[in-house]
Amino acid sequence: MNDFQPIISRRQALKHSACGFGYLALAGLAQGAKTNDTVLKSAGPHFTPRAKRVIFLFMQGGPSHVDSFDYKPELEAHDGEMLGFDDARTIAKTGMRQSRQRLMKSLWKYGQHGQTGKWCSELFPHINQHVDDLCFVHSMHTEGVAHGPATLFLHTGAARFIRPSMGSWILYGLGTENENLPGFITIGPAAGNGGPRNYSHAFLPAAYQGTAIGNAARAAKDSTIKNLANPRRTLAQQEEQFELIRALNAEQIRDNPADAELEAVIESYELAWRMQNHAPQVLDAAGESAATLEMYGIGEEKTDNFGRQCLLARRLCEAGVRFVQVTYGDNTANPRWDQHSNMPKHKDHALATDKPVAGLLQDLKQRGLLEDTIVWWGGEFGRTPYAQDNGTGRDHNPDGFTVWLAGGGFQPGISHGSTDEFGHMAVQDKVHMHDLHATILHQLGLDHERLTYRFDGRDYRLTDVHGRIVTDILA
Amino acid sequence: MFLPAFRSNFCMCIASRYTSFVFPFFAILTVVATSQAEDAARLEHFEKHIRPLLVERCLECHGEDSQEGGLRMDSRDAMLLGGDSGAAMIPGNPEESLLVRAISYTDPDLQMPPDEKLDAGVVEAVRRWISEGATDPRQSDGPLAEKESIDIEAGREHWAYQPIREPSVPQVEDTSWPRTDIDRFILARLESEGLEPTTDADRETLARRAFFALNGLPPTPAQIDEFVEDHSPDAFERLVDRLLASPRFGEHWGRHWLDVARFAESTTLRGFVFPQAWRYRDYVIDAYNQDLPFEQFLREQISGDLMQARDDRDRARKLIATTFLTIGPTNLEEQNKEMLNMNAVDEQLDTIGKAILGQTIGCARCHDHKFDAIPTTDYYALAGIFRSTSFMEHDNVSKWIEVPLPLTPEEEAVQQAYESQVTVLEDRIAELRRIAGTLIEDRTGPLDAASLPGIVVDDRQAEKVGEWTNSKHKNTYIGKGYLHDGNAGKGKKSLSFQVDLDEAGRYEVFLAYLAGTNRSSRTPITILTADGEIQRTIDQRKLAPIDGRFLSLGSYSFETNGFSTVIVSNENADGHVVADAVIFLPVDESNTVHPSKNSGEEASQTHEELAALDAKFKKLQANAPPIPKAMTVRDRDEPSDVRVHVRGLVSNLGEPVKRGFLQVATYRDVKEIPRNESGRLQLGEWIGSVDNPLTARVYVNRVWHWLHGYGLVRSVDNFGTTGDQPSHPRLLDYLARRFLDEGWSTKRLVREIVLSRTWGLSCKANEATVAADPMNRLLARAHRQRLQAEMFRDTILYVSGKLDLSMGGTTIPPNVKADYGYRHASVRRSIYVPQFRNVPLEMLEVFDMANSSFTSGQRANSTVAPQALYLMNHPFVMEQAKVAARRAMAETPTKLAKLNLAWRRTLGRDPTPGETRLMLDHLSGADEESESQAWSQIYQALFSSLDFRYIE
Repeated sequence: MNDFQPIISRRQALKHSACGFGYLALAGLAQGAKTNDTVLKSAGPHFTPRAKRVIFLFMQGGPSHVDSFDYKPELEAHDGEMLGFDDARTIAKTGMRQSRQRLMKSLWKYGQHGQTGKWCSELFPHINQHVDDLCFVHSMHTEGVAHGPATLFLHTGAARFIRPSMGSWILYGLGTENENLPGFITIGPAAGNGGPRNYSHAFLPAAYQGTAIGNAARAAKDSTIKNLANPRRTLAQQEEQFELIRALNAEQIRDNPADAELEAVIESYELAWRMQNHAPQVLDAAGESAATLEMYGIGEEKTDNFGRQCLLARRLCEAGVRFVQVTYGDNTANPRWDQHSNMPKHKDHALATDKPVAGLLQDLKQRGLLEDTIVWWGGEFGRTPYAQDNGTGRDHNPDGFTVWLAGGGFQPGISHGSTDEFGHMAVQDKVHMHDLHATILHQLGLDHERLTYRFDGRDYRLTDVHGRIVTDILA
Repeated sequence: MFLPAFRSNFCMCIASRYTSFVFPFFAILTVVATSQAEDAARLEHFEKHIRPLLVERCLECHGEDSQEGGLRMDSRDAMLLGGDSGAAMIPGNPEESLLVRAISYTDPDLQMPPDEKLDAGVVEAVRRWISEGATDPRQSDGPLAEKESIDIEAGREHWAYQPIREPSVPQVEDTSWPRTDIDRFILARLESEGLEPTTDADRETLARRAFFALNGLPPTPAQIDEFVEDHSPDAFERLVDRLLASPRFGEHWGRHWLDVARFAESTTLRGFVFPQAWRYRDYVIDAYNQDLPFEQFLREQISGDLMQARDDRDRARKLIATTFLTIGPTNLEEQNKEMLNMNAVDEQLDTIGKAILGQTIGCARCHDHKFDAIPTTDYYALAGIFRSTSFMEHDNVSKWIEVPLPLTPEEEAVQQAYESQVTVLEDRIAELRRIAGTLIEDRTGPLDAASLPGIVVDDRQAEKVGEWTNSKHKNTYIGKGYLHDGNAGKGKKSLSFQVDLDEAGRYEVFLAYLAGTNRSSRTPITILTADGEIQRTIDQRKLAPIDGRFLSLGSYSFETNGFSTVIVSNENADGHVVADAVIFLPVDESNTVHPSKNSGEEASQTHEELAALDAKFKKLQANAPPIPKAMTVRDRDEPSDVRVHVRGLVSNLGEPVKRGFLQVATYRDVKEIPRNESGRLQLGEWIGSVDNPLTARVYVNRVWHWLHGYGLVRSVDNFGTTGDQPSHPRLLDYLARRFLDEGWSTKRLVREIVLSRTWGLSCKANEATVAADPMNRLLARAHRQRLQAEMFRDTILYVSGKLDLSMGGTTIPPNVKADYGYRHASVRRSIYVPQFRNVPLEMLEVFDMANSSFTSGQRANSTVAPQALYLMNHPFVMEQAKVAARRAMAETPTKLAKLNLAWRRTLGRDPTPGETRLMLDHLSGADEESESQAWSQIYQALFSSLDFRYIE
């Protein structure tokens, strides 16, 4: 099965190409079968896709579902009561079940929204205006009580093992639609909790690596792709340098005409040069109308940064990028939404993200992009319905939480699955993180059981040996 | 097209979420006399309640198409046979039946159906069905698959498990061609395929190849000339011996081993720095330079702490060797500590399996290996050895083990002198502080932030995580009060004082706080600087030394990137954590002014002396003699065997397994592991035994791979049945046998391979040969090889003259405790660059350095646009090109001579006429001023050229 393929020349490769950036430069070519044969032959989706691309809005730290979208009248009714719960952290640490916890009702009032009359809290007033477009999954559950493992699990389907990120898998399965841009871009990723491993290609060829734009500590307006620009040289000098490299390599390849590996190097410079000339325009939002900027909250103090990141996500999608992640997070061990002791702080984070996210939904919709773009909003886990340590915050909750999806063939205006009466454990129509992965791949035309890669004698996939497609949420 | 994926190909290596609890495989068949009427009623119950349930809710995953957890439920027999966790039911005994347990959702690890709980009525129906004997008319279609157990003897037929033979050297037709026995093996195979070897590489090419392969650096023009002009018959042999003796050899070959050993100096999660890991790196380099016998090298890495030592130095070396076991990627914050232990054990077995034995042992954690003869009992036999070894000290976030290394008498004397100096100073400072403290309290009162020098970040501007209380209880605060954590929620609260500096540069950072007896004596402070993250712990019970208000946290460099932050946390704090403000004072300013309003007024002698002593103390501490420690492991007090963990779960224990080794690779009776030992010592001996068929084969194949670019077995980390077959099995055995006979000497093995005629062949061959063997498995020519990332970087620095060739020692600044945000600035060889999992040096990362989280015997070899962007635009490349151009400028006068020198330094050859024309053309337009720029561009183009990136 690991027979070595004859090296394919550039022209042949271009004919087969499905993957654009980097791939065109024949990732892993000289390495032999382990990397190249699968890459060269991968040919798009397994079946007709409903969606072409994904925008993942990562709410790092774990936003509270009972304070936002998972309405629990019983929680309000029993506010303040001490009851026994199987608390995930307590069990992991001590094995003790049914620890005593004080129920804490939502800090934000619930009301009904949209044609569907969806109950949402007032935490996200702008997003609430879009509930008819959203597909809520209230019965999520996942692996990992701490941020690090749960964050890795969210991105790679594994906490302990070194596995490719979901974006890498999708790029591997579908390729990109723009040769001048990377196909998997992560905007403002956090350095902590797995850091680059969350957008790493792991054992897949390097062409599937996520490309970072900025990081969680850098303002969106100052962020770009590494080494894309060369501020030390004028454009004329840069062109001169590029031409000199091109000419020298043309001399050196004379002895080895039609050598695919060497041609790939030459092609990588051509690509880089094209990127250098085209990508900055995609990254630069200067041409956007005032109305658009306003829609994302750009120019307003609280929403400017995340608004810019969301707008960039739309621009990248328009330009053909397959998987865009936008992280609302930071580099600390207790990232943004992690309110262990001060729930009201959720308000600040909601303020920073609400309008930009709503703006993104509206913008995608009016451009017709929402049809074939999956927007996925969620954290690595949710939060407990009871107060942590009998205080004023909530602890991590991997056993039940909410995500929502929009566009991309997900059924709009529905709520799938449920947690128990207080919002602690997913109980009905449970959806594991593996299931969500499998379902998103499915919408992209990829069979999660067939999207495999052979490494060290074994076929690997994003969902390992798990994952079911949640057909109930598909339009 | 994707690779065909059969479900059975998947190794269930993650413990199943759904299955738990092993069950003794027995079925008590309750024989109950029943009437016909009862039979009919039971059948009806089955048809009405049970069959629909099974069809609708179970068979999708446990039927003909799919058998999750190895379980089928489409016939009674299949349910009785059960899956990996045992029988699905015991007729007559619903309470002991796994099925009932699963559907009643009482066990969080075993809940079926997975998406939601069945109605109580349905559960009751199943309970009744089983208690009544589980009447079920469904027959299995064919004989049920027997649970296969692994046949070790049959498994031994796989080539890699066979004993290493002593193959005779084959006869060849062209007896004049071979130089060594290796050549005879290669030629014999070529002749049998009707092929012949290509021509020998020219001498310039050969010299360059040898320098890179043995030392990882190119020859200088003088070294090339010396070799090319040396016409004596043993010229190459002498060159090889010189390169083997060079300290550069250990650096280059040590790097190879570090790839295999998944070496890193920090963890992924939280980015903790391993401050002692560099000693292991130096140990490896030294082992290669000293040509430590390979079996001893391995034994020391597995059990060095348990081995006899000649003296303190030897003992230190052996302790350091065991760092190998502990540097894997471990999730130290896993809350279930037994799971953490087993995950660490798994990581080690996986590494030892791949790195040393070429086996995917980890596949047998949850079930028998699906392809190789490794039963799950073998996995737990080995796991028992490592479970009897401690790797961590457990805590909320667990910590790896460090032990002090023996001190030399000189080190000891230095240490003692230091400690007594510290004591004297500390006493005096404490005394003065007591006096100074009372002085200050006489003139207390709030201060306005605006009255202070520098950039003040008041507590009100700090970003708060967790609940902080504002207080004015003590009145020596700045602004409108100060914050405290209420002495609650330890580990969950922090304050980030972030500043957007207008100017990059050095700043002294001060923290203002209000001391008190109920304060924390160990408040952790993190400072995000341009040089990385600095961790400090401060004692807030002690009065702040400057005016009772301020404590200097030290001077650091900061950028204007928004990273400049001081984080006050309450993790592990033992009292109230308090913070009032943070001040960034440009260093020039701080030399003259203290951040005190009244510093001029009451500058008492006490203050001056205190300041002087503080400075002295800080200096003393900064120059403290380091206490050498090693990252290591230790045997547990009570070693023990472990039980099989069914499906890998710590909560699902099966039979205990006696500690031992892989049966399939064991040919001689092995020593019993004594009850009071972990067994690592014995494992080391088993691995390093001449009877072990894997160890020597895997290693000689690695050496072949490192020298030729590909192994005789191309899947260098996988010698199992899913790996590749050797292209020259007899040669592989010949080399392994020679290696054992020569005392496991790496240098002799390298020498033998490099001196073969095969290794010295040209990369080019005629079209017919290439067409007959496009992947060059038969070695009629040499493989063209890409410079690996470290060589690429080192060579650029070597050409520019900037490479710092000093050896060994730590390269991580002492204050860097986490790798996030680290800025690499080293010009030493790449092996000495801090190997940070979260922050690899960019150039190394871009050019496919080894992934430091798992064994990487084979580098990826990608060609992607970010590499081109790096070479065209990264300041490092431009800077080195400029320096290289400037260096050459002074050395030769004419353009042609300069071109010649540039080519010989970078590519090891003269420019071709075409290249010369191109460059003269490039230079022609340049005036005196732009000429140096033009030369920089030439060097940058050379660094970016094909012939620089590939070694012929």
